[in-house]
Amino acid sequence: MSFFDDFLAKWREYRKPGYYERFDYAWTMTIDLDRCTGCEACVTACQAENNIPILGEAELAKGREMQWMRIERYWEGEYPDVKLRFIPMLCQHCDAAPCETVCPVSATYHNQDGLNAQVYNRCIGTRSCAVYCPYDVRYFNYTDHQWDKPLDEQLNPDVTVREKGVMEKCTFCIQRIRQAKDSAKDDGRRRVRDGEVQPACVQSCPAEALVFGDRQDPESRVSSMMDNARAYRVLEELNTLPSVVYLKKVDGNAG
Amino acid sequence: MAMIDRRDFVKLVGAGSVGAGAGFMLAETIKHPVEHLIPYPVPPEEFSQGIATWYNTVCSMCSAGCGISVRTLEGRAKKIEGNPSHPVNQGRLCALGQAGLQVLYNPDRLTAPMLRTGERGDGAFVQTTWEEGLAEAANRLSSLRASGQVDRVCFLAGGVRGHVGRLFERFMAELGSDRLLNCDFGHAQTLYTASELFFGERQLPYYDLENTRYVLSFGADFLGGWLSPVHHSLGFGRSRQGRSGVRGRFVQIEPRMSLSGAAADEWIPARPGTEGILALGIARHIVEEGGYAGADRAAWAESLAGYTTERVAEQTGIESATIVRLAEAFAGTRPSLAIGGGAVGNHTNGVDALVAVNALNYLAGNIGQTGGLVFNPVPAFGPTARAGQSGYRALLELAEDARQGRIEVLILNATNPVFAMPAAAAFEQALAEIPFIVSLSSFMDETTALADLILPSHTYLESWGDDTPEPGVGFTVAAIAQPVVAPLYNTRATADIILGLAQELGLGDALPWASAEEYIKASWREIYERAPPDAATRSFDEFWRSVLKAGIWGEETRREAAAFTVDASVIARVGVAAPEFSGSSDEYPFVLHPYSSHALHDGRAANLPWMQELPDPMTSVVYGSWVELNPATAEELELREGDLVEVQSAHGAVTVPVFVFPAIRPDVVAVPIGQGHSEYGRYAKNRGVNVLEILAPLVEPTTGSLASSATRVRLVRTGRTARIVKTGGASRQLGRGVVQTTGEGASAGPRATLKGIPITVEPA
Repeated sequence: MSFFDDFLAKWREYRKPGYYERFDYAWTMTIDLDRCTGCEACVTACQAENNIPILGEAELAKGREMQWMRIERYWEGEYPDVKLRFIPMLCQHCDAAPCETVCPVSATYHNQDGLNAQVYNRCIGTRSCAVYCPYDVRYFNYTDHQWDKPLDEQLNPDVTVREKGVMEKCTFCIQRIRQAKDSAKDDGRRRVRDGEVQPACVQSCPAEALVFGDRQDPESRVSSMMDNARAYRVLEELNTLPSVVYLKKVDGNAG
Repeated sequence: MAMIDRRDFVKLVGAGSVGAGAGFMLAETIKHPVEHLIPYPVPPEEFSQGIATWYNTVCSMCSAGCGISVRTLEGRAKKIEGNPSHPVNQGRLCALGQAGLQVLYNPDRLTAPMLRTGERGDGAFVQTTWEEGLAEAANRLSSLRASGQVDRVCFLAGGVRGHVGRLFERFMAELGSDRLLNCDFGHAQTLYTASELFFGERQLPYYDLENTRYVLSFGADFLGGWLSPVHHSLGFGRSRQGRSGVRGRFVQIEPRMSLSGAAADEWIPARPGTEGILALGIARHIVEEGGYAGADRAAWAESLAGYTTERVAEQTGIESATIVRLAEAFAGTRPSLAIGGGAVGNHTNGVDALVAVNALNYLAGNIGQTGGLVFNPVPAFGPTARAGQSGYRALLELAEDARQGRIEVLILNATNPVFAMPAAAAFEQALAEIPFIVSLSSFMDETTALADLILPSHTYLESWGDDTPEPGVGFTVAAIAQPVVAPLYNTRATADIILGLAQELGLGDALPWASAEEYIKASWREIYERAPPDAATRSFDEFWRSVLKAGIWGEETRREAAAFTVDASVIARVGVAAPEFSGSSDEYPFVLHPYSSHALHDGRAANLPWMQELPDPMTSVVYGSWVELNPATAEELELREGDLVEVQSAHGAVTVPVFVFPAIRPDVVAVPIGQGHSEYGRYAKNRGVNVLEILAPLVEPTTGSLASSATRVRLVRTGRTARIVKTGGASRQLGRGVVQTTGEGASAGPRATLKGIPITVEPA
């Protein structure tokens, strides 16, 4: 078998749906849009947990947002029959992630837990991944960011502070996953218990719209949420196989 | 010598010829790059920053009183999460509560006591010591005491609850002045009065959203910022999807869609100020045609006779069929719940409208029911400090007294009336007549800038305190607030400042505690002694330690759901007059709807960069102010997003950019409250406009609270434009199906998979 054939065989295997479910965990988030109120508690929780910089008005005016977790809002209809729909949007941790295949330096890759991970100091800032991402959830550091002293005291030591020229995005709070795995190991358990890991957004959600867990575990809460007939994935037709599953909003007037 | 590499060369240079110091420097300059390039998503094996300590305390960002757990590492607070044991928020926390870290670590905090040196308002202060500062304040107070003018001392506190609030009361009582004003601008007084008038109880009822099946909300943005948003959100989520086979329905009535309006199944924009009339129209339908069978049916029928569906439809602008539908759904779905608040209480008929909402709950049989409206029991340790709540009327009286020269000393704590009062009240000018103003603020806000002496207090994350949350959870809980980090600056806890002042004034016998900690501990000893199960089974020290650890103490007793009847005189008084507005509709065609900003609350959070950068949930605007116009209004006036207009009332004008907002009545314009600070630190100062300035000084007559939704305005084009900074992209889905919806009753259905991944199934 030539090197090329070998590569192709591995590549095909890797692109197969369900590839990441052979490993220990397949981390998944479900978001119930019928519970979500759009209050943005998750947004601030993420800012706090992941040392997301304060950009300032000038940067934001240039469209350089940075919210790993954001709320998208879509209007439907016209006054007075008008509705506003919210959807929390974060990295979908696609099992077939378009951003991963396009990075020239493999700064973004898939780990064995099914997380789409970003290696900051491998990133050279081509921004190709952001272009390829259909969910628009990758954020680029156009400048070095400062925290006015003593705001830097609140920075989370578990999470690195990114610098200029680097792409960043939601990690599913990988530091919390690692901590949970470590404490499971310390307790002599092989696996993390369901509910033991909660990313900051899931932890904060006042309407309990967000659930996080391992979809390989049939007993886990995410598995039962995914079983709901309202479950769907955003832009499913692109076949990116996201690890974020949404539950449709129930339109009270439609039924 | 041939095989020497650069590293060895450096070593040789260092050791042999130049000397060790220079060699070391050279080696530092040209040393090898760091070898391990693995970033912290995978931290190095040997790297460990230790175990975090979590302290439970109480959130003070709004009046809900959620319990929080603060993660601290090496003496620094790192993150605030909800305290899972606290029944109000059950581990959850809103954006504002989480931003409390930026109160603690705000770069614009006041760091030491200061005395004014220049003219008032110049901002010229000189640092002083605590001893001198307290002595200065005590001198002023004791000379007034000596001359028997101690009633010229006024203490203005901002909605302080718990034993710290009690301490203020005791201090003022010992001093001999009854001028303690406890007013929170984000917390409406009208609700208390409406409760008192209808139920005979001056407390906020607990709304059992979790178990209800139908919510009719009149103006209360209970998911956004009203009373206890986290607890309401928990209830909302569970009423929607927390019960099998039952999905709670919810209708929101308000002139401008709020966060709650967006979450509702149906949003009904009644004419502003007529929501109470709508409530009575629904009530009349329930009594006359909905089969209301209470013994007082005749009294109700008589009282509500004028609120025929036709008349109500005409007054509110809501179709008759809709009124009938709402009445039938509300009375026919058990249990149901009517909630009134927000702008509805801020009209000239505010209290009557809220009483009308209470009447709806009564007629549908929701009082004391699971899934209805429940009153909290009086705690075993006695009533909590809240009843003395004062509002706009008390502040007007204070201003009038100040103008008459009847106020000598004003003490300010956690309140900013110069920002919150309309310019028409001339509060700032009245302050100029007060000879001595002491501020206990942690920040240089607009009112503190006018102070003569600043005794800066700790932030809530550095202070001792406690709280009984209101509206609570239907049973008694008390939460303890403790410092989570050592004080950052030369500040003191508010309770310590008051105790220090008491010492200086020789009131030490009446207020004998050496510190805030000792005072809080002594107060909790009383709770311990009055709570029999605790006193019998464990010592106070054990009790105290367990309370500090859990952050919360509660009695699982609920109030007996006694049959509740309304007095005939109360029934006869039920009625809502048409709202009054300042300005004629010819001259001022629009009703101004000022609403609490989701992120900035009543303006108190404008100095927190996270909150400034948090996109407004409805518009995604960051860092600014805007005026919301219905698309039809904007088209008629030929205004587009970003056009600067002057919003003029009879009492002032502000210039703001236009934002075209699809969910607002065409005859209403809305401006968020919170921006427009002239002080308050680098993030807040000189940003946006303060819409409160232009409000007409109309009041709700029963309570004397400001009718902040009763101002009419006109829009005048300036010809200039301004960029509205907002995040996010398209405001419509354009067929992409990002947010998908489904009809009700679709919760059961087969799950399909495609290559092992579940895919969407359209319900048949």
